Amino acid sequence: MKELNLDNERNLARDFLANFADANGEAKYMHILQDVANHKTRAIQVDLEDLINYKDLDEEFLRRVTENTRRYIGVFASAIDDLLPEPTEAFPDDDHDILMTQRTEEQTENGEGATPNQQIPQEVKRFFEVYIRAPSKGRPFTIREVRSSYIGQLVKISGIVTRCSDVKPLMQVAVYTCEDCGFEIYQEVTARVFMPLFECISKQCKTNNSKGNLILQLRASKFLKFQEAKIQELAEHVPKGHIPRSMTVHFRGELTRKVTPGDVVELSGIFLPIPYTGFRALRAGLVADTFLEAMSVTHFKKKYEDYELRGDEEEQIARLAEDGDIYNKLARSLAPEIYGHEDIKKALLLLLVGAPHRKLKDGMKIRGDLHLCLMGDPGVAKSQLLKHIINVAPRGVYTTGKGSSGVGLTAAVQKDPVTNEMVLEGGALVLADMGICAIDEFDKMDESDRTAIHEVMEQQTVSIAKAVPPALLSRFDLLWLILDRADMDSDLEMARHVVYVHQNKESPALGFTPLEPSILRAYISAARRLSPYVPKELEEYIATAYSSIRQEEAKSNTPHSYTTVRTLLSILRISAALARLRFSETVAQSDVDEALRLMQMSKFSLYSDDRQRPGLDAISDIYSILRDEAARANTMDLSYTHALNWISRKGYSEAQLKECLEEYAALNVWQIHPNTFDIRFIDA
Amino acid sequence: MVGPQYDLLANPLGAVRLTFERAMAAGIAAGPYSASDGKDWGAVPLFQDFLFDHSRLSQVPILNHETVKWIGANTLVRYRGMVQDMLGNEFYVGAHKVGSVWKTNKFSDHSQFPMDSSCESRVWERRLLYCVPVPGLNSWAEPTWDGLQAHRPVDFTSPQRDKRPRMDIEEEASGDGSSEHSPSLKKMREDGHPSTSSQCQDSMTVESCHQPTMLADTERDSLPCLVKIYDSPESDLQLNNVFEFIGVLTFDSDIPADKNARDDFSSSLCDEELVRLPPSKVPRLHCIIHRKLELPDFLCRSPVIEPNHHFVKHIREALLKHLTTIFGNDGVVAHFVLLHLLSKVHARLDNMAVGKFSLNLTGLSKESVSVFGSQLSIALKNLLPLTNFIPLTVGYLNRASLAPKKDYQLNRLIPGVLQLAEGSHLIIDETQLEAGTLNSVGVENASLLKDLMEFQKVKYDFQYYSMEMAADIKLLILSEGKSNILPADIIVPFQPSSVSSLEVVDAESLDAWRWYLANVRSLEHTIQPEMQKVVENDLVAARQTDRTLGSQEFSRWLTMARLISASFGETSLSLEHWQMAKELERLRKERLG
Repeated sequence: MKELNLDNERNLARDFLANFADANGEAKYMHILQDVANHKTRAIQVDLEDLINYKDLDEEFLRRVTENTRRYIGVFASAIDDLLPEPTEAFPDDDHDILMTQRTEEQTENGEGATPNQQIPQEVKRFFEVYIRAPSKGRPFTIREVRSSYIGQLVKISGIVTRCSDVKPLMQVAVYTCEDCGFEIYQEVTARVFMPLFECISKQCKTNNSKGNLILQLRASKFLKFQEAKIQELAEHVPKGHIPRSMTVHFRGELTRKVTPGDVVELSGIFLPIPYTGFRALRAGLVADTFLEAMSVTHFKKKYEDYELRGDEEEQIARLAEDGDIYNKLARSLAPEIYGHEDIKKALLLLLVGAPHRKLKDGMKIRGDLHLCLMGDPGVAKSQLLKHIINVAPRGVYTTGKGSSGVGLTAAVQKDPVTNEMVLEGGALVLADMGICAIDEFDKMDESDRTAIHEVMEQQTVSIAKAVPPALLSRFDLLWLILDRADMDSDLEMARHVVYVHQNKESPALGFTPLEPSILRAYISAARRLSPYVPKELEEYIATAYSSIRQEEAKSNTPHSYTTVRTLLSILRISAALARLRFSETVAQSDVDEALRLMQMSKFSLYSDDRQRPGLDAISDIYSILRDEAARANTMDLSYTHALNWISRKGYSEAQLKECLEEYAALNVWQIHPNTFDIRFIDA
Repeated sequence: MVGPQYDLLANPLGAVRLTFERAMAAGIAAGPYSASDGKDWGAVPLFQDFLFDHSRLSQVPILNHETVKWIGANTLVRYRGMVQDMLGNEFYVGAHKVGSVWKTNKFSDHSQFPMDSSCESRVWERRLLYCVPVPGLNSWAEPTWDGLQAHRPVDFTSPQRDKRPRMDIEEEASGDGSSEHSPSLKKMREDGHPSTSSQCQDSMTVESCHQPTMLADTERDSLPCLVKIYDSPESDLQLNNVFEFIGVLTFDSDIPADKNARDDFSSSLCDEELVRLPPSKVPRLHCIIHRKLELPDFLCRSPVIEPNHHFVKHIREALLKHLTTIFGNDGVVAHFVLLHLLSKVHARLDNMAVGKFSLNLTGLSKESVSVFGSQLSIALKNLLPLTNFIPLTVGYLNRASLAPKKDYQLNRLIPGVLQLAEGSHLIIDETQLEAGTLNSVGVENASLLKDLMEFQKVKYDFQYYSMEMAADIKLLILSEGKSNILPADIIVPFQPSSVSSLEVVDAESLDAWRWYLANVRSLEHTIQPEMQKVVENDLVAARQTDRTLGSQEFSRWLTMARLISASFGETSLSLEHWQMAKELERLRKERLG
């Protein structure tokens, strides 16, 4: 390696610090230096991001800083020594300052003859600490990616803190006084252990050959706060069949006490071998232990709102948002391995997106969270859907009604096995605060728990109250019944799937590429930042739609649902969630239409229940098949050939179809074209 | 290439260093530092050639708790073990300059030459794997080395053939002589694994496994080993894999001396693992060659005749008869147990482990288990290389550590009962279980067992998070009624009609059965299009009559069909075997009544 020209490097560092202007044109570092001069702050963080954005960026200089970072901390520190302005505010002198003043006076007396150890090291004079921070752009390394070639370099890694030592003082400069000559002798300490000086080395003592006895002056020596920690790879970064790796991290000065065990952090730091001295160095043999000298600490946040988009994600989302089919694409990417159930997936997607909370002027809160209830036969993938959803949600909790009696909902005080601290162990609902709580086997839940949940769903508070179970159902914005249909088609579908899996050792191709869960999460978190409102002109439209549903229901003798004001709120919530997905600040009519369609589909799924009852006649069954098909295609029109095709697959004859068409036409459910027999549903 | 100047058994490092110096010399001619990045410079092929092409593997001493007492440091050894923990990377001075000559420290803990801090050097990396003897390994499947009785360490220095007359005879007899003439047989695969069919004989001697070993396994002292891996990619060596490591044995003795110094100065967070792994208890092996061991690699010898369909059928018949006897003439149970023993996870998708076939034998009481259970247990120990047993009681559940757990004080993964090698067999005896209260450990353990049954996965506890590790463990549950704690794939009521005393099995049959069980489970399997149609239609028809059948049952039936097919040595599903699967299922259903 070429020998560095330190003066030149210092000039480069000084120019940067003095001239760098941030996005607002402010001289960022000069402001910091003024604060340092006024003793308001100690840490000076040189952000390499700034160096990259610096108008006179010297690429080679940047590279040298990154590859030999430790050296450059000294370079920047001495540049700062040159630049440090006079204090503009008075601050009380502390011991350190008084000592310094005395020393400076002594130094001038000493004059030229002083040996290096008698000169006051810059380290003692400095009030500040310099950190060089890696650019925030770019993916951090995982621990196993940090190879020997990175030794000495500035790296950025992510991980979870597993252990932390106490904060201890670490000697940075040892100061001695000589019993004979009375001079102060300084010794810089760069390692964890050092060999203390015993004999005075001042010129005076040397000339007199007096071997003056040195006394270590703890009060005068400079100490640095020091903390050691272990970080470990995050579970998602560990390759299959491997154990998470860990790394030792050293925190100094202002960076101490920033992490506790369990924190997920991104660190930038210098990857260094542990320097051994004396005896240890002789015995260490060939092996070099390494550690990371921390330069900056960033904590990861877990909530949607705090989810920070990475550079490439932002672009990807922007691209996805322009795709007209994004709603379908996102929905299909939820649990892609589960076949069909498009509308349920859409509902789940909207559940993840949610609507903004509203607080009315009178203080009443209207919830924005969507609640969804899935019911149905065993083995229709309800649980799989739920489990997938909580994987996408940053704060998702999956619990089953069977297992969560009491404990699932109440909070308990427990001792943390790691830190031995007493912690509040939240039940499922507490843990899922601001997130998604998926409760499987809701019906098997304790009555008292269900009551508690009811409360949470409506008021978003946890307390104990009484409720009637049927009322709980009305709190769900969408209810879905998933049935296991006894038709040959779906049985064959299942049989084929199983045979395919055994034959090919993989799932059948999906016919599309699902979006990665991380992208889904990023998209949803971006969408959740919007608070769409309903424009005036749409209010009328929604009101009309609502009243027509009410009228329909009044006409029917056996209403399957109870349309109330809650339904209206649900329509608004679903519409708002749809608008969020479009990244729109206003709800559009298309959003309302889709919301109405989903609610209708949800109702249809409940009607279908009738069909499963024994003794259900063929005519009614044909009607439900056609109605489902129309609803699925989102159309009011069905061609006769299409209808015939469908019912014959379910084992019905053309004669039965005709009978059904007539019967239901008489009920005014649909109109039949006199010539083609095509069906047109009368809008419900 | 390097001639026989160096004795690869007694002085492997000599060869390593010589080849390095030659490579460096050659490299400097071509351009500086070609070998200096630490990648293999030709030392490994030298050992491969010596061990496999010249069949010297059997001369390499086996490192175990006995031999470690006298095997000399810096000699070539082999060690068989499971990767139990991974201790990360170690940076070491791989090469440094002495005068003007580059010297290497690869495969060793110390430099041969004094190194001053100013000299030019290169830092290389190696990975540390903590290995333990394979859990549940039965004594008959342990490798033996016939130098054990006859030779003292001093003998290793001369690997001349006249010192090993028995070996020579064995090599000639087992057809190794012929393989020396057919280069295709001794070709090494790229990953360094030998593909010679006679590998089994190479790696082991025959004497010790020839006797009929109908004896129960005894508790053995076990010797863990810290294996240092060079060059090979990370994905090659995974947790819980079993390997034979061949490399240089060292005891890096400076660690204990260092310990005091460490205690004086440094805080508690230093890498204690090395301090806590004293070389007297945990030797170090600098691995030159490793080969992954699958179940067949544990067998001492394969059957004498080249197996054909007829032969496989013959073995199947005899083994089935043996099992039927063990199960008091219950042929149906014997069939299911045979299929169970042949099962293997072939694929994993969406949480599903395709091919798993856990079995729950019901109708066993505390009393009958003492007869049939122990007979079964002994029989399986003799048939399978890796067997384990859990007596399930409330006390056990509440106390046992089933899942491995990371201890951050020690910086080690503390092994759990369920950290088992691929292909292990595990009997869980639920007949001992009585009503009682589970504490939090018990609840955790119960759910671990359940997850293992359902997904063939074990959750390892890393305190801050848990990680699911894939497992492939054959689970056999013995219970009185159907076990709800351990939901098995197949539940078969056990209906014995007689009690027979333990059969004496001749060694030849035992060898054949071991070979059969270890090998046919890995056979390929296809379902031809016309058979697919038949199967699909059968499944649809079954579901039309019984709505409770779902994809899980169908998946089970297809697994059964595959296992039946494999048990006959077939690789493609035939109508006959599919019908056999259906018939077996019908018989089983009948019993469930």
